[in-house]
Formats: sequence, C-alpha cells, structure tokens
Amino acid sequence: MDLLEVENLSVSFYRPEGEIEALKKVSFSLREGEILAVMGETGCGKSVLCKSILKLLPDIAKIKTGHIIVRGEEITDYTERQMRELRGSFFSMVFQNPMTALNPCMSVGEQIAEAVRLRQPGLSGKERQQRVAELMHLVGLDHPGERARQYPYQLSGGMAQRCVIAIALAAQPSVLFADEATTALDVTVQAQILDLFLELREKTGMSIVLVTHNPGVAARAADRVALMKNGELTGIGDVEEIFEEIIHRQNFI
Amino acid sequence: MRKLYIGRILYNIGKFALRVIVLSVLVFTISRLAPGDPLYAYYGERVEKMSVAQQEQARERLGLRKPLFTQYARWLQGAFHGDFGISYQYKTDVKEVIAARIGNTLILGGLGFLLIFVLALLLGLFCAWREDRAADRIICRIGTVTSCVPEFWLALLLLLVFAVWLDWLPGSGAYSIGKEGDVADRAVHLVLPLTVVVLGHLWYYAFQVRNRLLEEVRADYVLLARMKGLSGKQVLYRHCLRGALPSYLSMMAVALPHILGGTYVVETVFSYPGIGTLAYESARYQDYNLLMVVSLLTGTMVIFCNMLAGIISGRIDPRMRIHSLTGGGEVRGC
Repeated sequence: MDLLEVENLSVSFYRPEGEIEALKKVSFSLREGEILAVMGETGCGKSVLCKSILKLLPDIAKIKTGHIIVRGEEITDYTERQMRELRGSFFSMVFQNPMTALNPCMSVGEQIAEAVRLRQPGLSGKERQQRVAELMHLVGLDHPGERARQYPYQLSGGMAQRCVIAIALAAQPSVLFADEATTALDVTVQAQILDLFLELREKTGMSIVLVTHNPGVAARAADRVALMKNGELTGIGDVEEIFEEIIHRQNFI
Repeated sequence: MRKLYIGRILYNIGKFALRVIVLSVLVFTISRLAPGDPLYAYYGERVEKMSVAQQEQARERLGLRKPLFTQYARWLQGAFHGDFGISYQYKTDVKEVIAARIGNTLILGGLGFLLIFVLALLLGLFCAWREDRAADRIICRIGTVTSCVPEFWLALLLLLVFAVWLDWLPGSGAYSIGKEGDVADRAVHLVLPLTVVVLGHLWYYAFQVRNRLLEEVRADYVLLARMKGLSGKQVLYRHCLRGALPSYLSMMAVALPHILGGTYVVETVFSYPGIGTLAYESARYQDYNLLMVVSLLTGTMVIFCNMLAGIISGRIDPRMRIHSLTGGGEVRGC
C-alpha cells in the first residue's frame, strides 16, 4: 500500500470572471521513504497540487473530482478539524521564502516550541526546550540556546529555512512537502538544504515531495520525477527515465 | 545593562521635556497670531464703550503690550512656579477653571476611550475571523452607518427617545443637584453621553483593526502556522494579532487625546460640564492663558502616549526597537 495516493484530482478556482481549471485529473502515488520531484514551469499547478492535498487552498478553490488517499484511507471529504489533526502529524510543508514564512514578531525558538507543544502537549517546559534544541541540532543549526532567542530578521536566508524545516519536523511527519524550498536561496545554500533533505530522509525515513522548477535540483535529490504542464501531469517515472525522455523529446521545460 | 537602562530613561524624559517646550512655543505664537481681541474675553461688550486710552491701559495691565518673546518668557517663568495666569473670561486662576471641569471630562472621555479600545479590538478580531461571512458583512454595514451619523444628531435622537419619550435616563448634566458624590447617580447621567462618544468612534477603529488583521492573515507565515496544526482562530490571535498590535497601539495613542478632547459636541448637547467647551471657547475668545493650558494638556498627552506606544510596540515587535539594528538581540527598548 502506498503512503499517499492521488487519483483523478481536479481543482478549479471560481472567480467572478469564470472558472479556472488549476488541476486536471492528476493521478500519482507516493511511496514510503522516497523523494518525488514535481517539476514544471511557473503557474503549472505545482503549488496548487500540494495545497489541495493539504486543504490549504483559499475559499474560492474547490476540489471538483478525485480522491486523496492516505495509507488506504480516503481524506478527500475530511473536515477542517480532521485535516488539522493530519497537518500537525502526517503532513508537513516547507515554503519558498523562509523570511516571510516565519512570524517576524516571534523568536524562532518560540515558533519551534509552538509546533512541539501542539504535537506533544504533555511535555514540561524543560523537556520542550530540550526537544527544540534537538530539532535545531537535527537541521544543522549551531548554538541552539542562543539561536532560539533570535528573531527571523536576525537570521540569514539559509538559517531561516533551517528553522522552517525544524518546525516542519517537529510534527515528525511521514510526508514533507517542500514547495520551492530552495528557490529563494543562493546556490551554495541550495545545495546545503538539499543535502539536509537527503540526510533527513536517511534519519527519519519520511517521504519528501520536492516541488521545483529547477531540473538540477530534481536530478540531484529525487528518486522519481513527475512532470506537470498546464495543470496536467504529463509524465512520471524514475529520474533517469524521465530526463532521457525529456532529452529525447527535446521539449525541455 | 543597568546603566544602559537608566540612561535610556533619562534620554526619554529629556526628549519628552523638549517636545513639550517646543509645543508650548508653537501654541503661544499661533494663538497670538490669530485675529481677534483678547479684551473682549475680559470685558465683553463693554470694550466698545471704552476709550482708546482705556483700552491701552487694560492691555498694559494684562501684559499684552510687551514683545511676544518677553510675554512668553514671563509665561514660562510663571509656569515653572505653577502659575499659569488668569483666565480672561472667568477672571480667576486658570487652574481653578480647569480643575472644576477636568474630572468630568476624564470620566466621560477616559471611560469612552477604554470602551472603544477594548470593543474595537474585539469587534475587529471577530470580523477578521468571520471575514466575508454573514456576521462580518452585517457588522460592517451597521458600523459604516453608525460612523457616518453625525454625533449631534445621534445625541439628540437618543435624548428624545430615552430622556423625553421613555423618560428612563436623565438628559443633561453630570449629576443631579445635591448628589455630587453619588456614584450611581453619576453613572446614570453618563449612559447617554458615553453611548454617543463610543458609537461615534468605535467602528472607525474596529475597521482599522479588521483590515490590519486581514493583511496579516494573507501573510506567508500564516500557512506555516496552519501547517503546525493550528486552527484559523488560533492563528489569528496567536500570530496575526501580534503583528497588528503595534500599529493599533500607535493609532490609539493618537486617538486618546482626540477622544478625550473631542467630546465638545456631546458635552454641549447633554449640557455636560467638561473641558471640551472650555477648549472651544478659549480659542474663540482669545482667552490666551486658558487656551495654553488646555492645548498643552492635550498635547502633552499626545506626546506621552506616542512614546508609550513606541515602547510597547518595541516589546511586541523587536524590529521596532531603535537600537536593535546594530546591537543584535541583546539591547532591549526601555
């Protein structure tokens, strides 16, 4: 049984001007412990795909048809309350711009601690601090005690992204969505964050959905690649297979 | 660290004093530049029957013939000794004129401000939470209407309904004659004026809170907070409120004297003895000494509240601390 299955998923945005089809009958599945890169040009529906699975779409967007199945259980009709449960434990997400993804008015330690408290409400204050330090160590942040007191504006982009990843990991997720998680960072930091993803997969065994428009990122980190265009999934397969096909077809994205 | 703290406090006090003095110079100059004759405040209609020599003599006596700078220096000297001069109109010490009325205004305006402060925040939060649903839309419509209704009209309407037709509440004054110390009696007299003050301002501030919060709700960090498993409501008051509070506080800091001093219309309609009327009359009749003190009272409040809001905002949002840009995380605003 696959960890996550998406069948015939169609999502539309209903705007005053009319209906906009963002996803058209997308189907794929995610295996335990794999890294799946979702690749495509800007606006092809990569982010909408992640957000529809997580039900984080704005009110004007509706799932028209299709099924989302987690470990054999259908979650398409889950209520907000049930989804909240799932978001805090099964799924997690890392965003494109770490500087805006963190709340500017809270120290990063507080923000990580909040995620820990939601996941493990029984922990004492001291145990929680310990867990925060553990998470910060896990994502490669040095001097956790000092860093925890800092505010997002005092961090570099790479460090901020590591904090976001620490928050995502607090939930001990089975699936991590990384929505363009390396795009806003400079090249060396991109490589470090990708290495971190690979390392985390080794340590925790979670699956990662790596959304990117950068073929280099996909080739370096992914096991399988899904190609998207105009809201449709045009191909899915092993990295070598897909890249060979792309070169063969000469329609490089 | 301790030394730094005391230094910051002294620095802030110095800044405060400087601002108050600059303000007093401005009010002093502007009030004297305005057209009109202060003798009218003192003698009323009798001025017209006085000879030119008599008028000059009266001016001499009130110290109005000296150069502006000397007049200001004398005023400042007196002010440092607690002597703010006499009111031309009431012919007694300015302090006495104000002391008799400021309590009433502080009660009406202060209570009004507190109510507005709390209710606007709650209403704004509620509307932001229910954005574009039925409840939010209805409140927005009602709010727009109430904030557009002129205060004097609303005051008259309430007066007509509750004081004249239904006769439930008293329609004028701050207390019944002979019951000056009776809290219950004062409270009953406050209901109608307070309602007008609150209704007149509430929606403007609530709407600002709502819009500020909705800006925050669209920020990226909200998605991350929701990914942690927080509900929309929890994100709103744990995360968004924190981002919206600094601008709300600085807005309310300016609003405090506005609401306190802006009770003129209400005071007039309900014959409520406060300083709103004083402020208006002193400016109208060139009652310089009274005008100085009333303006300085409001002005000092604006300056003080702004500084207070700045300090509180710095505590909420570290990016607003003045020295944090260079000092890293260690320097705290005081």
